Amino acid sequence: MKYIPTIGVECHVQLATKTKLFSEIDNDARGKEPNSCVSPVDYALPGMLPRLNGEAIKFAIRAGRAMNCKINNYSRFDRKHYFYPDSPKGYQITQFYHPIIGEGYVELPSGTKVRVEHAHLEGDAGKLTHFDTYSLVDLNRVDTPLIEIVSMPDIHSAADARDYCKELWRLMTFAGVSYGDLYNGNMRFDVNVSIAPEGSDELGTRTETKNLNSFRSIERAVEYEIKRQTKLLEAGEKVVQETRGWNDATGETTGQRSKEEAKDYRYMPEPDLPPINLTDEFIAEESAKLPLMPADYRAKFNGHLPNDTLEILLDYPQLIAKLAEVDEFAIKKVANWFTSVLLAEENTSLLNDALPSENQLEELVTMTDKNELSSTGAKEVFIKFFDPEMHFKATREIAKELGVIQENDLGALEAIVDAVLAKPETQKAQEDYRNGEQKVIGFLVGQVMKESHGKANPSAVQEILKKKLA
Amino acid sequence: MDISRADLKHLASLSNFSMSDEELDSLSGDLQNIVSYISELNALDTEGVEPTYQVFEMENVWRDDEIKPMDANREELLDLTTEEKEHQIKVPKVL
Repeated sequence: MKYIPTIGVECHVQLATKTKLFSEIDNDARGKEPNSCVSPVDYALPGMLPRLNGEAIKFAIRAGRAMNCKINNYSRFDRKHYFYPDSPKGYQITQFYHPIIGEGYVELPSGTKVRVEHAHLEGDAGKLTHFDTYSLVDLNRVDTPLIEIVSMPDIHSAADARDYCKELWRLMTFAGVSYGDLYNGNMRFDVNVSIAPEGSDELGTRTETKNLNSFRSIERAVEYEIKRQTKLLEAGEKVVQETRGWNDATGETTGQRSKEEAKDYRYMPEPDLPPINLTDEFIAEESAKLPLMPADYRAKFNGHLPNDTLEILLDYPQLIAKLAEVDEFAIKKVANWFTSVLLAEENTSLLNDALPSENQLEELVTMTDKNELSSTGAKEVFIKFFDPEMHFKATREIAKELGVIQENDLGALEAIVDAVLAKPETQKAQEDYRNGEQKVIGFLVGQVMKESHGKANPSAVQEILKKKLA
Repeated sequence: MDISRADLKHLASLSNFSMSDEELDSLSGDLQNIVSYISELNALDTEGVEPTYQVFEMENVWRDDEIKPMDANREELLDLTTEEKEHQIKVPKVL
């Protein structure tokens, strides 16, 4: 029997606000000592009250609009109670009943639309590190603002699950609401997977694989779950509804023992935070701050760039934004330098925020188009754009310093060609060429290039040679 | 609504409280009284009355996103824990 998988994704996005969601403490704990970004509020000392960060609301509006979601005028917070050392309060402040972000959708590069059910604001939990007989608690991450994005079960393959998560990553980083650093847990994904016989109206029993933090692991975990569940059903067994963990080393998911009663969260309205009631004007004002999004870039570059080049560049918000600034005539070449030079394995260290200006890039295209630079020379100049000492120099100046401007002056080229043809070591080649051995022209071009210290334009040299040897 | 011993045990386990039999007995009595008292409210007709989530009628209370100096430093806060190790809070192994 053929089984159809159905997949839904929950995604937690850490918002890149300066302070935490409920306290005026540094929210960016990257590279900082454990428990160094913790206030008495995060520590849940008696009498401490949360103070809502207005920027998190604005970020949530932008994040929501990035996913074509309706922003709810009215939202408020609830307490979700649970006992665990990662939460000193004993509850998480979340939006269970009235989330700020309503329904919307994310369109994948393949054209598949995945509906977003809702997304809500909440505080993150602390970090636990487990040892043999004890665990250590670092509360730096407590109440970092999160939005949790809940998709509808609209995904039916592991590849689409991966693409959906990747598109969410793009939307959040393009919208500027998250650093999007997956390695450091800025975005974490839970995937719900079930399978049902083809044509069946009912969904199968689902499992939830939690805390995936790479696109590759999302795809692999979903693939594994589909296979595992298919095997179970084919053997006449049942899928157990449970939470599973992913092991990247073994490539397997495993069931996690969890007590049934742990699901009893006893939600109640958060009495310390008044509700949010946004005007349409406020929502519109924040929505207008959304910069160009992946869909805008796809529309803009459609027809100018091959799809695969475009999709690669969409993984680098700063590169695609730069490309949007260069003049139309330069788009293709600049995109090519970005993907084949800058993003090449050996140059990954070059990529930083100090990108070349659109003037520098356009001039580089113009010089290449005029044959003043060979493709190799253009690459050399392009790489120098990222050298802190060359960064501010004009393209022509850099090309001159590198000595890669090609000699196109026909008079000057002829003089060099004549000098080479007069050399004793080229006589045999000339004779061979006249006798019909066309291939030796390569040797002669090489000699001219050498004589010109690489500055001659090889195709021009070849033309001159052909004329002279005719 | 009756509060059984099992209900109370369940609630206690959710909050990771351990309770003696005496405590369970006395607390289930107390809790039963509280619930009965509150249940009297059920006699009221609340048809069409909006739920009250808060009584101050405030909304949109938020602050600017600016870092302020901490009111207490890390060591002061960690001093409040039973045990610390490498600037982290040491707890019995969980999971």
